[in-house]
Amino acid sequence: MSMRKVVADKLLWETLKRWKRSSPETDRLQFLQSVPFFNELTNWQLKSVSEIIFERSYDANELIFEEGQPGAAWFLIMHGKVSVEIYREKYTARLATLEKGAFFGEMALLDESPRSASARALEPTRTLALYRNDLNRLIEKDPQTACQIYRALARIVGDRLRSTNELVQNETEKVAA
Amino acid sequence: MKNGKDFEVKEFERKTRRKVFHIAFGLVTTIVVGLLFWKLHMLILPITVGALLAFLFRPVKERFKVPWLHHELQVLCSFACIGLVLFFAFNNVRTHIPDEKQKLELKVRLKYKLNEKYQQVVNAKAADGQKTLLGPLIAKEAGPVMDQINHFLDLNQDEQELFLKYRAGYKNEPPIEDKFFEYFIANRTTSTYTPVEHDPALGQPAVAQASTATPAKVKKDGHKELTIWMLAPLIFIFLGFDNGQLRRYFIGLVPNRYFELSLTVMDMLDDAIGKYLRGTLMECFLVGLTLTVGMILLGIPISVAVAIGVVSGLVNAIPFLGTVIGLIIGLGYALIAENVTPLIPGLNPDDLAIYVIVLVGIAHLLDNVVFQPFVLGSAVNVHPLVVMVAIISGSLMMGLWGMLFAIPTVVVVKTAVETLFKELKDYRII
Repeated sequence: MSMRKVVADKLLWETLKRWKRSSPETDRLQFLQSVPFFNELTNWQLKSVSEIIFERSYDANELIFEEGQPGAAWFLIMHGKVSVEIYREKYTARLATLEKGAFFGEMALLDESPRSASARALEPTRTLALYRNDLNRLIEKDPQTACQIYRALARIVGDRLRSTNELVQNETEKVAA
Repeated sequence: MKNGKDFEVKEFERKTRRKVFHIAFGLVTTIVVGLLFWKLHMLILPITVGALLAFLFRPVKERFKVPWLHHELQVLCSFACIGLVLFFAFNNVRTHIPDEKQKLELKVRLKYKLNEKYQQVVNAKAADGQKTLLGPLIAKEAGPVMDQINHFLDLNQDEQELFLKYRAGYKNEPPIEDKFFEYFIANRTTSTYTPVEHDPALGQPAVAQASTATPAKVKKDGHKELTIWMLAPLIFIFLGFDNGQLRRYFIGLVPNRYFELSLTVMDMLDDAIGKYLRGTLMECFLVGLTLTVGMILLGIPISVAVAIGVVSGLVNAIPFLGTVIGLIIGLGYALIAENVTPLIPGLNPDDLAIYVIVLVGIAHLLDNVVFQPFVLGSAVNVHPLVVMVAIISGSLMMGLWGMLFAIPTVVVVKTAVETLFKELKDYRII
């Protein structure tokens, strides 16, 4: 085989690989692999999660969901910034500003309770959304994957509860002092 | 500062442009879809049938879900399984489908027996030997119907010649039995029960006008119908291969504001339709099974009992009318049945028609009291009046298919409207 043919073949394979790498599905998979929430999932499991996930794009200042609305999906930020806020009559409090790789609305995966806060895109933002009933169906189709997602979710909710308890404790101590 | 204002103005303009574009696009799409709908309305039924089959088939596909197996391979495996089941079922059914000779025998026997029973009922005498008053009344009402049935069951010239050939021993088949030949002779002398009305405008008997289609036209229409119906399996296959892409595509078109709402509505709709369709299928299967078992117990041959059970079970999907059609089929066979020996001791074979009526009654009662609450309990409840109106409207629009799809359509519309309004309120959109 001539050297020229080898180089041509190599070039062809490189182009094909690059083309494959740049498909939206592969991008999504690569992104999911980089998120700690999914770090326990194998490639096959990530693929089955990727099949049930929706990609959404939001403009700057666009509401992703509103406080009080029934929650149905969990959001993962792929690109951009999101502000989690609560609106009251006299003020608006920003609870957190989330960036790439962060997620919000996780309680919607557990029940239909209303959203406890609003989420708004601070800049053009791309998110991945996982619908509660799709995750429920994943329990039947792929129980192991669903179980691992729920475990990760429980860990996150537990962490947040722990930090909230610490916050409440600190505030109580401050008031007592 | 000026830059910020410029940006706001540009954003406002962009949003206005987007609104105009959306409205224009929506209008054009509505017109195009409306036009296509009007021009290609004949495709609606095959597409609906294919889509519904794919919908019913989905649980089977889900059963083959193996994480490490490629989706297309999983679908092919499930298709192969369904194909195998259908192949064996078809092979089994094919042996029970009457051939040319049996069809002729059946037609002759059916016509003879029906006329015999009709004569018995019309000429029935009371205990004192006098004719009852009921006979002429039945003759007046049922006579024209019997004439139509006789006209339908009449053997045409070619069929008569074929019958006589089979009688003499044709295609190495054993000759037709003497009793069928006697029926054949007797059928030739069957007279009409009502005088044939002449159309004064044409001077032709009214019955003769029933069919004006030429054989060439019928053949052409048949080809067209076949081509159209080829769409159903294609839709079924393509939807079978779909791995949620269609849903994702449609959800992708929905504005962000309605994203979660549309997911919830679609899911509820999917759930309601699935429950209703699978529930109805199970209900039809149970009714068909009841009738089949009952008919076997009444001594009807297994192949015939299964055939009647399958057809009655399928038409049971049409509320109210399903039972009537099942009764007509069962009763039709009971009237022509010969040499029947009921498996239940003490039953008189001559009263088979009465037993069939009782059996259909029991199946209907079981359906209403046990099957429906048990199988369709959590599915959508539709008011009986709505059911009646929907069936009549369906039959007026699309005949038998219309009647069959009337209730699923009502279920879809009812669930869609209810869910949409509930969710729109929950999401504080209205």
